[in-house]
Amino acid sequence: MANGSASSEVLENLKLELRRGCLIVAVLAQLRIEQYGYTLRKALADDGLAIDEGTLYPLLRRLETQGLLVSQWREEDKRNKRFYRLSPEGETILKQLLGEWESINASLGRILQEA
Amino acid sequence: MELVDSYLKAVRRYLPRAQRNDIVAELSEDLRAQLDARQRELGRPLSDAEQMVIFKRQGDPMAVALRYRSTGRSLTVGWELIGPELFPAYLILLSCNLALAAIVIAIVLLLGHVPFTLKAFLIPMLIEIVLVTLVFMLLNLLRGFLGRRMSESWMWPPAELAHLLPLPRWYSATGFVACGLLTLWWLLIPHFPRLVLGAAAPELKFTPDWHRYYIPILAVMLVGAGQRAVNVVRPDWNWLLPMGRFVADGAGAIVMFFFRMHALVAAADGVVNVEHAAQVARVVNQQLAWGLFGPWLWLYLAITGLVYGRYCLPYLRRYLRAQRGGVHSKHELNGLI
Repeated sequence: MANGSASSEVLENLKLELRRGCLIVAVLAQLRIEQYGYTLRKALADDGLAIDEGTLYPLLRRLETQGLLVSQWREEDKRNKRFYRLSPEGETILKQLLGEWESINASLGRILQEA
Repeated sequence: MELVDSYLKAVRRYLPRAQRNDIVAELSEDLRAQLDARQRELGRPLSDAEQMVIFKRQGDPMAVALRYRSTGRSLTVGWELIGPELFPAYLILLSCNLALAAIVIAIVLLLGHVPFTLKAFLIPMLIEIVLVTLVFMLLNLLRGFLGRRMSESWMWPPAELAHLLPLPRWYSATGFVACGLLTLWWLLIPHFPRLVLGAAAPELKFTPDWHRYYIPILAVMLVGAGQRAVNVVRPDWNWLLPMGRFVADGAGAIVMFFFRMHALVAAADGVVNVEHAAQVARVVNQQLAWGLFGPWLWLYLAITGLVYGRYCLPYLRRYLRAQRGGVHSKHELNGLI
């Protein structure tokens, strides 16, 4: 019983690490279309990659500080919202990350076939 | 003030100054969008408890704010003493404690007409640094054992939201152990005076003033320990924490204020060298009045009493509203009515 709960905890931690690596690519990819935080989070969740509120906003700020995103406050539905989209540098980086992603996928596919 | 404004005000407190307005504006927009979406789903305004579900999903205001500060720093000496999740909170708490300690020391020196020296500030502040670091090292260790349960607990919830949060059992249990040990120490003192008088115990006796204040101080300690014990069993009686602490710390501040004004020890009967014992008694009285039971203690209790008094106000408002027949949730006043 103890072993069962220990290995499920290990699995959950590893799943978290796996997701963490994919989140940045997912967020950048979603922001090829301009969105604000709430709709971005819903879009990610609808596509099966839920991200909690406390993680998303600091991540968006970090990506903006790194020059990969640009943001703008605009009024919509009588509310001020901050809209994010990819910057030109962000588009370049995203292409490169997607290339890297495909390369890793291919390598993993070969490893699994060999196994 | 709406609950969401109370939540955002609490987050704002811990945010980096330069980005505060911007981050709060963004969080406000996100939270209100979530609240509106839920309201549309239900087709009616949300209750306080329903709003709290959304705030809890967002997380402890301090933790939410500290994610904007987190740079992965930690305190590591060979092995990790305080991890990156707790390190920002450790820095904030240590700064507040040191600032408060400096103010209290300054007041004590002024009251005692003692000159301001570096030593007078340095030693208490070093003690403060050691104590806060030890507490956070312990929290870091507990995090390993308690994990998710601890990360879901809110450290200092805003007063307007505190009534919607059950008290974490681990918090009440650790408080009970600490209070329990303190109360045990106080109970043992009449039988083992060395516990407070040290090596001077054989030459001294407690004065009638000591005995007069002994029971009231014990009562205050028992109220504190009792509150924590009850909250281990009934974590939903969250009103008990601010009210219990307001009473215990407030009464404690008053008792300690007067307690330290009296001579607490005198030369013991039947000592051979009466003059020496009287001299020792004078020194020990000074040390007790300015050290163990010094002004720092009643000031600290007075400040915490006021803080918990502030936390009592939302409960009092709800209780008065309930008495006047206002609409309220039974959950909010569990055990109180």
